[in-house]
Amino acid sequence: MDEEEKFFAWLDGELTADEAKAFEARVAADPDLARRAEQHRLLRARLSQAFDPVARAPVPTRISALVETDSREPIDLAEARQRREAKRRSWGPPQWSAVAATLVIGIALGTMVNRQSEAPVTVEEGKLYAAASLGRELDSELASAPSKASVRIGVTFRDQAGAICRSFNGPQTGGLACRDGVRWQVRGLFPAPAGQGGDYRMAAGSAPELAALIGATISGEPFSAVEEKSAKARGWR
Amino acid sequence: MDRSASFEQELATLLPRLRRFAHTLSRNGADADDLAQATVERALRSRAQWQPGTRLDSWTYRIMRNLWIDTTRSRARKQWLEDPPEAAEHLGEDPREAMDAAMDLKRVMAAMQRLPAEQREVVALVLIEGFGYRETAEMLDLPIGTISSRLVRGRAALLALMGE
Repeated sequence: MDEEEKFFAWLDGELTADEAKAFEARVAADPDLARRAEQHRLLRARLSQAFDPVARAPVPTRISALVETDSREPIDLAEARQRREAKRRSWGPPQWSAVAATLVIGIALGTMVNRQSEAPVTVEEGKLYAAASLGRELDSELASAPSKASVRIGVTFRDQAGAICRSFNGPQTGGLACRDGVRWQVRGLFPAPAGQGGDYRMAAGSAPELAALIGATISGEPFSAVEEKSAKARGWR
Repeated sequence: MDRSASFEQELATLLPRLRRFAHTLSRNGADADDLAQATVERALRSRAQWQPGTRLDSWTYRIMRNLWIDTTRSRARKQWLEDPPEAAEHLGEDPREAMDAAMDLKRVMAAMQRLPAEQREVVALVLIEGFGYRETAEMLDLPIGTISSRLVRGRAALLALMGE
């Protein structure tokens, strides 16, 4: 192993503990070497930051369907959007009443299963809004940096009228909420399928109905982690 | 759970990482997903060759790497007849896009493309996928010293390309 190789082996944690300790001392005593180490740590971090979002993104259906072990289809926004484009002309009152019916079921489930805690939504003037705790989580949670909140954010995007929308998954329900002034208007609420905890394929939504609703609502692409963060900083306007 | 179900389930949990590895090797996202799809299809067809108890990730990565080499070779042959498939991808002029993660991915993919294939795969496996030198050497059937020396050259080239 030449000196260059040893330097990188040290940086990659490939030296034995004794060798690493000795090399560490050399780096500490040599500003040039220390600077190079920093440069290469940054390079590695930059590579990870660029590629890691690929590993966090939903897997396209054409790939995930090959190893689908349950019947549920993972979410594919592009596909949902294509279906929407195809259906756009025929999207009339009957479909909206279907959405409304789903909403009612959603509310019923939401209030029933959350009896001890607060219901996730409230109704005001015929509109459905996120109640306080769901609203707070929609305000503060980032899909790119999930906390221990009970609600996990799926995708964030703008709808066709320009309002920011976010899909969310709670323990019992998942849904879609869009910004209306300073509040989150809930556009859809669906019962969460069983056993969704920690399943990476659920990143974009919980139920097929939610995926369809996202597909029918979204304009453009879902926000990247950076866009999501800056939208939060601007108060989701 | 029977053996075939556990194979599929384990493969399913690998998909996000496989897609990432495909992106480190490929010219663009569409090629990467073609490669990921071909890899999963091949893995499913060859599942009898996988030894339960050994690492499924290394086994599948190796399949992907071999498919990628095959594609690269056949593409190189065709390029006698075709124009280069892609000039430098157009980068948007909107300054906000410079911040965008997708744009960053494009830039870094373009830099990776400039590395010789033999350096690119080693850089991808060690620096992005996080495999150790020995695991990488075994996956690629190369001596560990070759891994070290390719890493040295690949990193120097990337640092120059991405100009920190």
